[in-house]
Amino acid sequence: MANTETALKDALSTIEGATGAALVDYTSGMALGTVGGGTGFDLNVAAAGNTDVVRAKLRTMEHLGLNDEIEDILITLSTQYHLIRLLKSRGGNGLFLYLVLDSGRANLAMARHQLKKIEAELEV
Amino acid sequence: MSAEAEILDELHRLRSRMPQLTGALAASADGLVLAQDSRGVEPEGVAALTAAALGIALRLTDATGQGGFRELLVRSDRGYVATYAAGPSAVLTLLAEGRVNVGRLHLEGRRSSSRISELLQATGRATAQQPDRPRGQPSALTDAPPLPIRPTSPRAGGSRSRSRHRGTGETPTT
Repeated sequence: MANTETALKDALSTIEGATGAALVDYTSGMALGTVGGGTGFDLNVAAAGNTDVVRAKLRTMEHLGLNDEIEDILITLSTQYHLIRLLKSRGGNGLFLYLVLDSGRANLAMARHQLKKIEAELEV
Repeated sequence: MSAEAEILDELHRLRSRMPQLTGALAASADGLVLAQDSRGVEPEGVAALTAAALGIALRLTDATGQGGFRELLVRSDRGYVATYAAGPSAVLTLLAEGRVNVGRLHLEGRRSSSRISELLQATGRATAQQPDRPRGQPSALTDAPPLPIRPTSPRAGGSRSRSRHRGTGETPTT
């Protein structure tokens, strides 16, 4: 079991091509923790913006009458991948992990697999 | 265009960017409405209450030695009231629904309050010709009831509060 900070640091160090990670509360849009990002990439802005993404998808699913849940969301930019993974563990309701990957260096399948593992071990 | 009209424009833009806002108003720190875009609440009352809350918030930041006031968030059963400092003499107060994205509310509120501060400073400069009122005084942030203790330890991040000392006669000795 890992706490927020360790989990985020793990994500950044073990996942190839990762440049930033955040744990976000999508009921408020605020980040519980952020790692990386660097200058010019404000992870708090990303947290608020991607909260809107997650909320929009959840609302759409509700309108479609889909009785299902989101496992992850992938956003592909020309130079980056943004990966959103909703937490399913007890106590993790209303939270998602957000991962920024450099698409030139990252292996998407591997990154998803590793993020899933980090999510499973994360205790909030 | 006058500063009030430009501030009102800014409030309209803010509300169109964030549909979950139920009201937005800019007030001087002494509780007078500068511009407002809010239905269902009485802006004068909210502005006056904001000034009162601001007084307490200023004393709190001062008493705890954490530098200048930045923002105030109140959460209630069905929504939020957020107040952001817009320069030394004005505040921006936003009312939002309970399901608002607070992270985004902060981002937009901060951006907007600094824009309002710039607008006020621009007009402050225009009226700054009077020799004894160089900074568009009076400002209630500086004329607020005297605070019991001024933090004496010279904290590095005190640049915001330093500007507020000007014109009050309470110039810090350090």
